[in-house]
Amino acid sequence: MKTVFRFILLAALVALGVWLWFVLFPGPEAVIRQRLTKLARTASFSAGEGNLARLAAAQDLAGFFATNVEVDINVPGRVQHTLVGRDEIKQAALGARSTLTGLKVTFPDINVAVAPGQQSAVADLTLEARIAGENDSIVQELKLTLQKTGDGWLITRVETVRTLS
Amino acid sequence: MPTHRPTEQSNGRGQSQVPRWLRILVIGRNPKVTLVRAAVLGVVCFIVFKFGVLHIRVEGISMAPNYPDRSAHYVNRLAYLWHGPQRGDVVSIRFSGGLTNASVGIHQAAKWLAPPHVVLLKRIIGLPGETVAFVNGHVFIDGELLEEPYQKLPCDWNLPPEKLGPDEYFVVGDNRTMPLELHEHGKARRDQIVGKAIL
Repeated sequence: MKTVFRFILLAALVALGVWLWFVLFPGPEAVIRQRLTKLARTASFSAGEGNLARLAAAQDLAGFFATNVEVDINVPGRVQHTLVGRDEIKQAALGARSTLTGLKVTFPDINVAVAPGQQSAVADLTLEARIAGENDSIVQELKLTLQKTGDGWLITRVETVRTLS
Repeated sequence: MPTHRPTEQSNGRGQSQVPRWLRILVIGRNPKVTLVRAAVLGVVCFIVFKFGVLHIRVEGISMAPNYPDRSAHYVNRLAYLWHGPQRGDVVSIRFSGGLTNASVGIHQAAKWLAPPHVVLLKRIIGLPGETVAFVNGHVFIDGELLEEPYQKLPCDWNLPPEKLGPDEYFVVGDNRTMPLELHEHGKARRDQIVGKAIL
């Protein structure tokens, strides 16, 4: 009985050690997931936001993207738009924040594939956006290309994906 | 003269204030056995709802009137373990998860085990290798008219014949009253299909 207890205790300690290791030293995939979750939080907003807060949030949002980022939105029959560069992202974010009364963005299913050199990655995710006051949410599959830089992982390209080809 | 019978509420021993029948109802005659039963039930529920059944809530009208907006349903994720999806099946389709280098070995298993949070709910009308076309709202499979008893709303879609690949299924919603370009439809790969809608 004592041996069994020791074995269970050892197994629990090993599991705790492994968990701690991954918490303290997350791999690039975990870092990217955390960053994308933070991006979704930054893109979300609620009513009653002041002008300065709005500007700061738009600035923060732009910081997730590379300076030469390209956002290619192409949803047949609905919207077709391309944004190039951080400034356009910032302007779009400001526009959305002044037009809409609230927005909740989440990335529920994130899949990350890190390139062998661990300097670039591709994230395939589902965007779920709920506009305040609207019943239905917007759901869209997105493909993000990320590059590792001195400022961490920055998004260099965003493109919409047709889930059903 | 009425006699006073001690109850659990005042049994004179100060053990419990709960009536015996209530204690039996809540924790059973043998608390240890009840605890084991509860643990087994918890594990079974966890396994079933984590890996076997997916609870979904319909958002939108693309499957109306058979699956109305805001209705709740379940998806059997194990439905296609032994056979492939069939024509007429209502299936849930995952959005993201199509990265090619994440689809091998342990990653594929992990992908299967992780249930998606957002799915599309569509009906299969075309099977792998078939050619699907819409003519004046009617579906033609390999040139033959498809009987669709579930299709209750008028439709005027026209879609040129599309050949499906060996791993592709043609899926579409039941509500085809909206313009074709506004209705999510098309080819879904087998690995995108999460399971079959039940209930």
